[in-house]
Amino acid sequence: MRKTMTLLCLFIGICWASAQTKITGTVISSDDGQPVIGATVVAKGTSVGTVTNVDGNFTISLPSGSKTLVISYVGMATVEAAPQNGMKITLKADTKQIKEVVVTALGIQRDKKTLAYSSQQVSGDEMLKAKDINFMNSLSGKAAGIEIKKSVSGAGGSTRTVLRGSKSWSQLSEPLYVIDGVPMVNHKGDQSGMWGGTDEGDGLSQINPDDIESVSILKGSNAAILYGSQGANGVVIITTKKGKEGTTNVTFSSSTLFESVMSTPNLQYKYGSEGGAKESWSYTPGNYASNYVKDFFQTGANLVNTVSISGGNNKTTAYFSYGNTLASGVIPNNKYVKNNVTFQQSTKLLNDKLTVRSNVMLTSEKANNRNTAGYYLNPLTGLYLFPRDKDFSSYQNNYQVFSKDRNMYLQNWFVADHMQSNPYWLINKQPKTDLTKRVIASVSADYQISKKIKFQTRASYDYAVKSYEQKYYAGGNTVNISENGRWSYKKFDDMMMYTDGIFTYTDKFGDFSVNGVLGASYQKSVLGNGVSVDNGSNSLLYPNEFYFQNLPTNVQVQSTYSGEVIKEGAFANAQIGYKDMIYLDLSGRNDWSSTLVGTGNDSYFYPSFGLTGILSQMVKMPSAVTFAKVRASYAKVANDVPFNKISAANTINSSAGIDKNTVAPFTNAKPEMLTTIEVGTDWRFFGGRLGLDFTYYNIASTNQFISSSNVTAAQQLNGYSSFYYNAGKIVNKGLEIVLTTIPVKSRNLEWKSTFNFSRNVNKIVELVPGYPDRYIDMGASEGYVPRLYQGGSFGDIYGLKFVRNSSGQIILDATTGAPTKTKDPQYLGNLEPKFSLGWSNGFSYKQFALNFLVNAKIGGKCFSQTEAILDGYGVSERTAVARDNGGVAINAIKGTTPVTKIDAKLYYTTVGDRNGVSEAYVYDRTNIRLTQLSLSYDLNVSKLKIPVKAASISLVGNNLFFIYKKAPYDPELTMSTGLGSQSLDNFNVPSTRTYGFNLKVSF
Amino acid sequence: MKKLIYFVMAALLLSACTSEFDKANQNPYEITNQSLTQDFNHIGSFFPTIMSNFFGHQIEENLVAESFCDYMATPTPFASGVNNTTYYIRWNTYWDRIYNNVMSPASQVINIADQGGYTMFSAWAKLMKILGMSRLTTYHGPVIYSNYGSATNGGTYDSESELYNAFFTQLDAIQSTFAANPTYTGFKKFDASYGSKNESEILAWRKLVNSLRLRLAIRISKVAPAIAKTQGEKAIADPAGLILSNDDNFTISLYGQKLYLSIICFEWDDTRMSAGMESFLVGLKDPRITKYFQPATKASLYADHTDYPYKGIRNGAKLVAKDDHTPCSKINDSFKSITKRNYLAASEVYFDLAEAALRGWAGAGDAKTNYENGVKMSFADWGAGGVDAYLADDTSKPINYVDPVYDGVINSFTSRSTVTVKWNDSDTPEQKLEKIITQKWIAGFFNPNEPWADFRRTGYPKLPTVYKNDSSSDWGVIPAGEWIKRMPFVDSERSGNATGVKNAVTTMKGADLISTRLWWDTGAANF
Repeated sequence: MRKTMTLLCLFIGICWASAQTKITGTVISSDDGQPVIGATVVAKGTSVGTVTNVDGNFTISLPSGSKTLVISYVGMATVEAAPQNGMKITLKADTKQIKEVVVTALGIQRDKKTLAYSSQQVSGDEMLKAKDINFMNSLSGKAAGIEIKKSVSGAGGSTRTVLRGSKSWSQLSEPLYVIDGVPMVNHKGDQSGMWGGTDEGDGLSQINPDDIESVSILKGSNAAILYGSQGANGVVIITTKKGKEGTTNVTFSSSTLFESVMSTPNLQYKYGSEGGAKESWSYTPGNYASNYVKDFFQTGANLVNTVSISGGNNKTTAYFSYGNTLASGVIPNNKYVKNNVTFQQSTKLLNDKLTVRSNVMLTSEKANNRNTAGYYLNPLTGLYLFPRDKDFSSYQNNYQVFSKDRNMYLQNWFVADHMQSNPYWLINKQPKTDLTKRVIASVSADYQISKKIKFQTRASYDYAVKSYEQKYYAGGNTVNISENGRWSYKKFDDMMMYTDGIFTYTDKFGDFSVNGVLGASYQKSVLGNGVSVDNGSNSLLYPNEFYFQNLPTNVQVQSTYSGEVIKEGAFANAQIGYKDMIYLDLSGRNDWSSTLVGTGNDSYFYPSFGLTGILSQMVKMPSAVTFAKVRASYAKVANDVPFNKISAANTINSSAGIDKNTVAPFTNAKPEMLTTIEVGTDWRFFGGRLGLDFTYYNIASTNQFISSSNVTAAQQLNGYSSFYYNAGKIVNKGLEIVLTTIPVKSRNLEWKSTFNFSRNVNKIVELVPGYPDRYIDMGASEGYVPRLYQGGSFGDIYGLKFVRNSSGQIILDATTGAPTKTKDPQYLGNLEPKFSLGWSNGFSYKQFALNFLVNAKIGGKCFSQTEAILDGYGVSERTAVARDNGGVAINAIKGTTPVTKIDAKLYYTTVGDRNGVSEAYVYDRTNIRLTQLSLSYDLNVSKLKIPVKAASISLVGNNLFFIYKKAPYDPELTMSTGLGSQSLDNFNVPSTRTYGFNLKVSF
Repeated sequence: MKKLIYFVMAALLLSACTSEFDKANQNPYEITNQSLTQDFNHIGSFFPTIMSNFFGHQIEENLVAESFCDYMATPTPFASGVNNTTYYIRWNTYWDRIYNNVMSPASQVINIADQGGYTMFSAWAKLMKILGMSRLTTYHGPVIYSNYGSATNGGTYDSESELYNAFFTQLDAIQSTFAANPTYTGFKKFDASYGSKNESEILAWRKLVNSLRLRLAIRISKVAPAIAKTQGEKAIADPAGLILSNDDNFTISLYGQKLYLSIICFEWDDTRMSAGMESFLVGLKDPRITKYFQPATKASLYADHTDYPYKGIRNGAKLVAKDDHTPCSKINDSFKSITKRNYLAASEVYFDLAEAALRGWAGAGDAKTNYENGVKMSFADWGAGGVDAYLADDTSKPINYVDPVYDGVINSFTSRSTVTVKWNDSDTPEQKLEKIITQKWIAGFFNPNEPWADFRRTGYPKLPTVYKNDSSSDWGVIPAGEWIKRMPFVDSERSGNATGVKNAVTTMKGADLISTRLWWDTGAANF
């Protein structure tokens, strides 16, 4: 980043230099006497300036009359000096302040040292090192306290991001995403589950990562108060690139990445099936083909090209970019195409008092055949489970056969089964197309009313049309697809309007400084407004015609509506500083939310307080301490309930009858309340060579919105079969530590190293008052029950275990000899890691830069239904080894006879398969991986006489290998980015590594 | 400029306009109670939904009553082959269907109808409750009925004796309301069962009320013979009469949807003909076999009777792989296109009358005639021919069952039943009852609720036991040679209404286990 800035500044300097007095000089550091690279040298009172080169030298052409040079560098005290040829300037480390401007809520820039809460900023360049089509995936490990899980659905898939732990069991706990101060829609599509389905992506992949200048993560609700309840789970603030004054820049960046599967499950190819069974449980070894699984996957490719043009003068700046993304996944026929067009301009009017900005982002995104997960219609089930003695190639080459009975082609597969189909039929004869066209347009005006008061107003409109269509040809399995095929189609609009008006006030009274914000906002969103139809296994009128005319009469075409929400807010914030050493932050907000209408609670107020003390300003610190700060804050954020829960109406069902609403009206609904206490301290030592940020937080969520959808008959008060209530308490406590070091900093070589550590402890303090034994299941599926009890925590999973006697022996069934399992699900562990660590390193040597990032998740569990099924079908390597060894070693007892070995088939068909013994398929989630490795080279273009301002090339690799991993799959991938199915593997597409090169040229 | 800014600010701050909130928080694609008042949909439009929830789907009926009464059997070794069908309870959800989709909406309709003075709709909704709950109680025994929805004692169960008394009392009230409004036409629009009968519509509902009363009376005839006799005779004597012709059968429309059994059989391949059905239908040379089922698709399966190319699966069988038994007989293809199903048919009423005659209830008529009419009604309902020859057959007996799939004698059984079809006046009442209930069972095909109750109550037909009995102390131990007696209370009640369940259990004959007999299942002699 700095290098780019340096070059950029250099060119600005060159552009503005006119042929006047030329002065050369050198800037060195008092610390080590080494040259300071990239120090800014400006002729005071002018815009003429330059930066020092790698030797600390500068040349500046002074405008006539210029008598003073201002020399500055981040982290060092600014020096003014009279211009003199061959001058030598020594910069001292600035012990007073380390200025680091961060973008906070509503796009307001704040000096980081004054913040009472934790915030981390990641630059766009930093993220591009691990370029991902969904920019959130590039953030993993680069900030503390953020958990990002990537969907298994391939390019353009959604992500699940949680800041500081899950805080609600009815809502997603996902942060709010904000572009340049304005909230954007992140409307997640359907997710896959145990029975199948596909992640339908989210809105985040529609942002062009090349347009991002930086991303700020405001983790606590303190930071989010200015967005109201929707920011209760934290805010991710995206700042986009802007045109820069005084120069025209054309940048072309191109990235070519290849993607390949890291590993497939450990399968056996030695034992086949018997008697035409689907399962490979023969005990007679054979010599069977073993390459078809590996051959099924292909090498994918991601090609991302962006060209941007930016420039401007001191009145108007503009930025334009066009990005094109082409991707193909590791499963054949999975394709992704995205086009982004962004235009942004900013104009100063009325003697620079008024600045008008506008920004338009257009996206068209098309995904074909996103990867599926789960049992149904997933090519991987058939691929992995295929009986070993049969000939796969015949089904691969002829995935369809001509049926004389029907005079048409139908699927060719060895069995009619709900869980497995011919993989090649699935990828060829069930084409799915997801289309999104989106525009995000915003306009803002800043007016400097006086020196101290500024008014800003913004409006934005985020509109997307999305369609999802899948055509399942006749011949698919009968559980899911009618004999004439199946058509699943939906199309809907997402719309959000946002507008706000904010006064900011800055003043100084003696030792006191005041920063004030007063504003109001209005936001209206209507999501998922459209139409959907899916005939499922109800037969279409005619085969393989996929449109409305061909629907049978018993299939309902549905108008869909995910909800309309209007939120209005009025807010005020004041930051009072004393002598640059103490800052007091006070905020308050009142929200009005349409989802609470009729309850009397649709208007609600919540405050926050923060206190920051800069210790290094208050007391004399040892010289090693450059900067020290302590901070504490307290915030409350109220969160409204979901759409249409107060008094729902009735629905017309596909039987032409009406489903009576039997949910009791929720007329006493209250907003959920999050109370956050955060304390932290930030230290910088040795002129910034070592930095430590430490944060502790305690977030209590109370008044949770709870749906008692499965109330017992005993609770069906007045005949309502379910009701909502506010109750419960979830507490998240955690630590975040960010350690930044620059162990080596010499003339040519620099090594920067950053540790991000986070630990979150979640506890469900109260679930249902008065009923300590009640629990809530978060999307249970066979053998996998994420269950919340009072006293438990988010991510607790339950499942069947072995029945053991007091000496730990597994009790075998007296007659069959099969291992016995518990009657009810038992506690198996918690899915969340004990702590997460990101270790990022950057080495720069002359024009080379080497970066690597190691990510670690320590502790936690994960669960694989894949492994259970593979065992049950006798296709896992384990089952072959057991057969080779004459059984599975076991510490068991049958009646009173101890048993040390048990037949492989008996064991694995009991323990594995569906509804086996879950305990056997719970794995340690701990994994350490090389998330990112890149080597880049900046061409020294200034020496080449070509019209290129800067050029760099880099080799990058992402997710290259695991340093440590216990689970048989990658537990950081998720089959669903919704509430359930976390850390669950059910025939997920295996984890992939990407590698390739990036090229960036500026003209 | 300044003015404009102040104006914008003021507008933003002061407006906090919440007037559009009401509309915003409603889903425009849902129908409001207000809109429903048109055409009286606010009281009528819920009946189709309520009625379509009487019958359960796979884990509520097919793998419960339909397996326990041996109509259908699954080829699929669900949960490693240890599940409901082998007496280890994995699925127990019929309770939720009935409460959430019958009791809850019917109670709401009663409130609305009572407030608006629609007494007929109120009575109709009360009948819906009984139609649902009289089925649910055969699963669990005590249920929450009289106090349902109450704020003070909504968790109190009706003991079974209280429950049946409540049913009878309610049926009295319903019948008198119907009788007082014989020409009422308000139901017609919502009545897929009898709406087409026009002026006889209410009369048909009255016949159902009587026939239902008779069914319930027969059900408790052993445990409470006096009440049963009174109620049975009341049903027989009521001027509206009983369902005695197939035209009056109480059917539930599928409202264009597929029959659950058809989905489970044809699309999921999870259910096939049972071994019990094979043993009786093949053995008795029952022509209805071609209407109920289709031949097995693998000839080796029916090598023991090639003239009847059908093969069933034993309930509670040892199953290794699902495909081992999927070639067994599916239900007939005609099930794919049926549009309605019987809830209570004329054949059942005749068999009830036949049993009532054996028990000496006044007006029940002649047992033999009723028995033969029951069989004839069933043949007619299914469009099967050859009923006279069938009724005259006194030699054909149920056959032994052979499962040829696995090596050794696995899943096969020797028929316990030696019943024949032909009525014999000189038979003992016990022998006569066996004939009646056996034929009632065959006639009741794919409506398994009452046949499972009859089997527990009378021991007929003499069905095979399960081959694989996985019952354990977890849910109750079923001894060898015995059958499951009930379904346990559901987990949500056990944990969420522990007191209610505890008190309910004190009214039962034992603990909340699958081995505890229900109230009307006395375990004593039939006569």
